[in-house]
Amino acid sequence: MSWERSVILAAVGMAAIGLSLPAQAQDNTGVTIVLPEQPDNLEPCQSIRANIGRIINQNINETLTIITPEDGTVVPHLATSWEQVDDLTWRFHLQEGVTFQDGAAFDADAVIFSINRLMSPDLTCDSRSKFGSVTLTPTAVDPYTVEIKTDRPIPIFPTMMGMVMIVSPNTPTDRPINDPVGTGPYRLVEFTPETVVLERFDDYWGETPPITEATYVWRTESALRAAMVETGEADLTPAIAVQDVSNPDTDFAYLNSETTRMRIDAQMPPLDDVRVRKALNLAIDWDALGEAVFGEDVLRATQMVVPGIVGHNTDIQPWGYDPDEAERLLEEAEADGVAVDTPITLIGRSGFFPNSNESLEAMMAMWSEVGFNMELRVLDAADWVRYLDKPFPEERGANLFQQQHDNNTGDAAFTAFVMYHSNGQYSTIAVPEVDRVIEQANAATGEERQKLFQEAFKAVHDDVVADVPMFHMVGYTRVGSRLDWRPSISTNSEIRISQIKLKQ
Amino acid sequence: MASYLINRALHSIVSVLGLLVLVFFLARLTGDPSYLFLPLDASPEARQEFAQLHGFDQPLYIQFFTYLGDLLHLDFGTSMRQNRSAMEVALEAFPNTLQLAVIAIGLAVVLAIVVGSLSAARPGGLFDRIAGLFSLMGASAPDFWIAIVAILVFAVGFGLLPTSGTGTPLHWIMPIAVLTLRPFGLLVQVVRGSMITALASPYVKTARAKGVGDRSIIFVHALRNSMLPVVTVAGDLAAGLVNGAVVVETVFGWPGIGKLMIDAILQRDFAVVQSTILVTAIAIFLLNIAIDLIYAVLDPRIRYQTS
Repeated sequence: MSWERSVILAAVGMAAIGLSLPAQAQDNTGVTIVLPEQPDNLEPCQSIRANIGRIINQNINETLTIITPEDGTVVPHLATSWEQVDDLTWRFHLQEGVTFQDGAAFDADAVIFSINRLMSPDLTCDSRSKFGSVTLTPTAVDPYTVEIKTDRPIPIFPTMMGMVMIVSPNTPTDRPINDPVGTGPYRLVEFTPETVVLERFDDYWGETPPITEATYVWRTESALRAAMVETGEADLTPAIAVQDVSNPDTDFAYLNSETTRMRIDAQMPPLDDVRVRKALNLAIDWDALGEAVFGEDVLRATQMVVPGIVGHNTDIQPWGYDPDEAERLLEEAEADGVAVDTPITLIGRSGFFPNSNESLEAMMAMWSEVGFNMELRVLDAADWVRYLDKPFPEERGANLFQQQHDNNTGDAAFTAFVMYHSNGQYSTIAVPEVDRVIEQANAATGEERQKLFQEAFKAVHDDVVADVPMFHMVGYTRVGSRLDWRPSISTNSEIRISQIKLKQ
Repeated sequence: MASYLINRALHSIVSVLGLLVLVFFLARLTGDPSYLFLPLDASPEARQEFAQLHGFDQPLYIQFFTYLGDLLHLDFGTSMRQNRSAMEVALEAFPNTLQLAVIAIGLAVVLAIVVGSLSAARPGGLFDRIAGLFSLMGASAPDFWIAIVAILVFAVGFGLLPTSGTGTPLHWIMPIAVLTLRPFGLLVQVVRGSMITALASPYVKTARAKGVGDRSIIFVHALRNSMLPVVTVAGDLAAGLVNGAVVVETVFGWPGIGKLMIDAILQRDFAVVQSTILVTAIAIFLLNIAIDLIYAVLDPRIRYQTS
């Protein structure tokens, strides 16, 4: 047999094997989702981590309330309604006839169990951080009514309950778990280092969803995730990099609720001079930077919460690009004796978000143009956090600190205090007026709350100039042609399988 | 021989223990895991609680003795991230890496012996030049890039192979091909070099004078003598692969120990770092013994004695 013939035979053999490839996820009602990272575990009380939440939130475990990502309103889910009894007490009326996937009944005791488990000192529950050091005391009024007492007023308590996953009363309370049981439309059937499989739960209390099975796999390479959806090996990936976006029919951008900024350390000269802080904002060609580094879909930010969050202020005008004005402000400050040529350190974090370093380099070049003296330091995550919260390192010097902040809770309370109040963990400013407005906003409700937060964000942007707001970031999903599904601002934290429909 | 093996084993246990001590303290020098484990907005009290829960609030030497005490009960600790035994996590991943490594090295050695020997038969000939070009490409191509291109060509372009993952025999083809490239490229050069030396030696001249055929001279007489350096280099390469083919595992979504180790280091999941290093250290120790034994088989002059 000549070698040409063997080559041809081998090629034919390969082709035959190729044709007999199992057509995955093509001819059934299951979906395959490829995630960017392996879920650490499947512990419901850690579900604010994207890699866990995208699998279990509202699929396996549900919540009393759901936060609508588009406008921050809170809608009923496992709770049908709620009222505030007094400043410290909230009463929730529960959905009846709901069962857990292990057959246990959903009632007031199950809610109490879930809250107590979340607060248990034997577990490290990420979701607890949202409550700070508040203590919760839940009691049953009757089987389908539960009252929750807090030790200080929390006007947005219904929003907070949108982050508390309700777990079966049979869940162990002394250790974290990997086999969650909830009331959701899907139950866990398999969890290995390679895959998670969910199956439709037949006794679900709500509407029966069309998808019968969801298989999750994970791949770190964005190009590979994009390829998997293209070849039909997967139906959906919630995140591909901007350079892999190539097909308008399958690739959709969504605001991912992350906002980026450069925090100005206003305690350190010359950054304690407001003219210098304004110059920092005016020296950047924002349109060019956004498009070149992050793609054309990012939104220019004026505040650290995305549109739709309670407290977002649409009236704030972003800083424009005016290098001449920036230079003039610097000269004016210098004439007053401000040492504007003091070296300023840009602190970045390696692998922070796509092209984070490129953005720092580009901004550094533009700042140098107008006369700033900058040096760039990119730290690894563990080093970077030393500069993130108080007490700040003694030896830090004048610095700008790159930060990405994610608020998908529907309310500015999780942003304003920590960023801008003089006691806020990340705050580098101390302005009594701003403190007062934030404190009032935290205690207010409804229209009043919205207005006060908007006021705080405007003051911080226009008068104090506490930071250099960058962009509201976007993620890109690639959705296979079988599915009728679009991403939303909550895609960063959850993918509700029950909302995925198949194209007929 | 037996006493030699026992001696080697005892030495290795000491080295592995030393390694564990080193890894234990080095890992903890990287800093506080609570900053990577808890949400950024966690309160200082929460961090305190976390440290107590995992014993990080104890002085280092107490943590270390606790760890050693647990080791004696074969308790290797719990993975903070995965909520399960760290050894279970490591032992689940290791076979996946081992299978890849064994097949890739085996394939690389066999192919390199054939190609390298044929190159050495006529140094400077056409086959030698083509093989030299390809082996250099294989030795120097970035496997990361090759892997992505292979996926684009064979999975997306032709639809012949699955992009990644495990499951069917077809899933093995690309990871193994990519993983074989570098060892193959290096070993071809080694085989060729030691083969040329062997072919110029007196005993080969004698064999030729006796009228032994070309093929028999290369693959019988010269090959055995030129295998020693090949075994040495192949052993080194195998040790590298047993440690985890991080790039290939990452790109092809292969759940091996290399990626697990890197992730555990980045996340400061100390128990998993220690378990993965323990598993691969033992594997490499066994590999070294195997290489010593192969030497003895290849070269009768080598006898292991305990002196």
